[in-house]
Amino acid sequence: MKRKLPLAICFFMGISMMIQFFIPHPTSLNFGSMIYKWIIVLMAFALVLAIGNLIRHHGFKIQKGKEDWPYSIVTLTSMVAMAIIGLAWGIDPDSLYQSIYLNIMAPLGGTMFALLAYYMASAAYRAFRARSLEATLLLISAFVVMIGFMPFGQYIHPRFPAFAEWIMKVPNMASQRGILLGVAFGSIATALKIILGIERSWLGGKE
Amino acid sequence: MLILLIAVLYQCLPLPSCLLLSARSYRPPGEVTAIDKPNDSGSVIRLEWTLSPDDETIDGYTILRRTADDTVYTKVGSTIHGVAGFEDEKAQDGVQYQYVVAAIKNGEMVSSEPTAMVTSYPQLFHTGRINVLLCIAAFALTLLYFVFRARTGQNLFIRKIAGLAAVDEAVGRATEMGKPILYVPGLGDIDWTATIASMNILGEVAKKIALYDSALIVPNRWSVTYTVSKEVVKEAFVSEGSPEKFKEEYVRYVTEAQFGFAAAITGIMMREKPATNFFIGRFWAESLIMAETGAQTGAFQIAGTDSVLQLPFFVTACDYTLIGEELYAASAYLSREPLLLGSLKAQDYGKLVVLLILFGFTVISFFGIDLLPILRVQ
Amino acid sequence: MKWYDRITMIDRRVIYLLLTVFVIIPFFIKVTIPQKIMPQTRRLFDFIESIPPNDKVVMISFDYSPQTQPECHPMAKALLKHCFARGIPIVGLSFEPEAPGLAVDALVSVVQEIDSLATNREDSLVYGIDYVYLGWKSGRIAAQLDMGEAISGVFPRDYFGNLIDSLPLMQATKNYKNVAIVIILASADYPIDWIRYPQTRYGIKVGAGLTAVMAPQYYPFVQTGQVSGLMSGMKGAAEYEKLVLDHGYARTLGSAETGMNSQSMIHILIIVFIILGNVGYFFSRRQKGTHK
Repeated sequence: MKRKLPLAICFFMGISMMIQFFIPHPTSLNFGSMIYKWIIVLMAFALVLAIGNLIRHHGFKIQKGKEDWPYSIVTLTSMVAMAIIGLAWGIDPDSLYQSIYLNIMAPLGGTMFALLAYYMASAAYRAFRARSLEATLLLISAFVVMIGFMPFGQYIHPRFPAFAEWIMKVPNMASQRGILLGVAFGSIATALKIILGIERSWLGGKE
Repeated sequence: MLILLIAVLYQCLPLPSCLLLSARSYRPPGEVTAIDKPNDSGSVIRLEWTLSPDDETIDGYTILRRTADDTVYTKVGSTIHGVAGFEDEKAQDGVQYQYVVAAIKNGEMVSSEPTAMVTSYPQLFHTGRINVLLCIAAFALTLLYFVFRARTGQNLFIRKIAGLAAVDEAVGRATEMGKPILYVPGLGDIDWTATIASMNILGEVAKKIALYDSALIVPNRWSVTYTVSKEVVKEAFVSEGSPEKFKEEYVRYVTEAQFGFAAAITGIMMREKPATNFFIGRFWAESLIMAETGAQTGAFQIAGTDSVLQLPFFVTACDYTLIGEELYAASAYLSREPLLLGSLKAQDYGKLVVLLILFGFTVISFFGIDLLPILRVQ
Repeated sequence: MKWYDRITMIDRRVIYLLLTVFVIIPFFIKVTIPQKIMPQTRRLFDFIESIPPNDKVVMISFDYSPQTQPECHPMAKALLKHCFARGIPIVGLSFEPEAPGLAVDALVSVVQEIDSLATNREDSLVYGIDYVYLGWKSGRIAAQLDMGEAISGVFPRDYFGNLIDSLPLMQATKNYKNVAIVIILASADYPIDWIRYPQTRYGIKVGAGLTAVMAPQYYPFVQTGQVSGLMSGMKGAAEYEKLVLDHGYARTLGSAETGMNSQSMIHILIIVFIILGNVGYFFSRRQKGTHK
């Protein structure tokens, strides 16, 4: 029953929504609209689940004195503090919540993303060697695209931007389309398998 | 006297009749048709007309309608000149309407002949989406056919996938070095196809880990994925007859913040120095941070993603990379399960059909025939 | 160790240090290099130009997080300036949980800038009439599909708690029929959902402003017309800022222009390192070949 009920719900709802797509009658549209609203509500509950998991995970770490448990205190305190600040004093543009978001959260996030620049530089230096024909093609394309998309690339040679655009629009787009087609079929097949109950890994393990 | 008669008649008779009496220099639109808009939920009537021969000199068109019981027309909308269509979205289903379209200039109107009575009603089937229905039906039947064929025990061929052939080597390496294996199931939630494929592969990898008695670390971004991956790993250990080897801390819930998650993974790599890293699932910009850190720690790395844009980063930083569909094939490849093999075959045949159609359409287009509207979803 | 071996094994820390220096230099030495506008950026700009004022709204989905603020925030501001200058109302929303703070910041800063130059009530922007921010909503795809029938069914209140039906702009904006285009500013795969679901079902026009890493994925969709225009990374933001400035919709360029100078310096540095690495690799291989 533990597995049969979710499978039955999945099958019924999957088929219903597929049929709904083909029926433009207001009854069908209202049904669809109701289901979308239920999905919005259920997804919001996933947040509650996430918060519960976070509290349980870090609470366990603090309780057992696991490695790096002080950071768990920071995590839980930050979460509770932001929630209280937002609820008590609001989230208006000039609120404390917004101020903390812009002055702490945003720079922290920006710092993490800034690491990408360093990793990209070291990865490019390490990996962009003309070891083979494919690697050489990769190297040349990378050069042309980097120079072509720089503002002064056009001053090195007027055709650089056009050639960079060509690389993006022809070979790049062609290969992307090929992969996209394959991925699209994979997605359709997986979705059909889930609806028909063939794919059950989302329930957690096989039967 | 004649002029007086014309003036009186113009004032007294309903609008359409003014067509006969107008002495203006511009002409009304012609051939006005009104139909119930097809494939909709009702309440919409579509009007089309031929532009007035004096279209360029007029201001636009006014659309007027009346019900069967009314004697007077009321305005329901207007368009600028050059536009030969309008949709009346305020019609009531089941009520008969009649329309006229008047060319308007400087506030004065010259009307067309009235249309026939028309009624709007909702449709029960969207005929414009038949192409979608046929494609879904064809693919579903193909899928079911190959799945049942696989279930009968027929051997279905899959070509060698280098990254997957290296999984045994990867797990063995970690066991020899006495270090854990890090498995990152991507940053997508459970509704991403790549995450589902990743869960399948995680199950197979966890079985090998249970067999070799290695340690495993599976950090998760989403709470639902965390729950699923914990069940998958636990069940893998149970199926290998080693439920006691499973530890709760193998599977961890980290954070939903994208780069916070990446920071946590890099921290795990630097502290616990896993011998093997798996990056299987859906990734975004954080992929290079994780892959490059793993490369710097000297770990053996296998990546697999359908995120086309992250593939170059994984290719440069990892030892093996599963590209796009190879990720979906991976679970079938590792488990050799008939259901998964069958669906893989169906996907391959589906792709073949699409390629043939695209090729055919391309060839036909050279003869000036455009068949793309057949594929369009309305 | 030979020189060609040394240049293939430059310490990462040296690379990182040089990177830091090269990023900082353009902040002190201001250089303005004319931008070549890419076709997809111009397409988006021209689409907004073609929208009649005070007719349909432009819907902006703010779906970027603080991590990608340097790329997407300038896009948001340039887009808002363009729309407000043309009298096109804005309806903002978010499906990325970290985005609302940045969305509010973008709206407030642009509105304040425009209001500071306003000489009368007509020139200033009023919340609820000229712009509305609906806030964040869960269940992304379901919400996008349901808005095709009624936006108020998905967002009964806006981000600040006002009832949607009490806002004049939202009284006139019922569903996608009243939306000229939805522009998604994102650092993740959000635009693909808009193309797959609302565009397929309701025919809504889609535009995008994406990080440079994400943007190439949408080139096929720009080519087929499924995406009406695209801003690609900080370069796209700088280009849009320039277009907005050149058409008189803004008085100064935004922050993307300065960022582009730093980005160009980094590109040069990376190219130099790649060249050094390859030169060292070739000489090293030749030496090994000679010794054999």
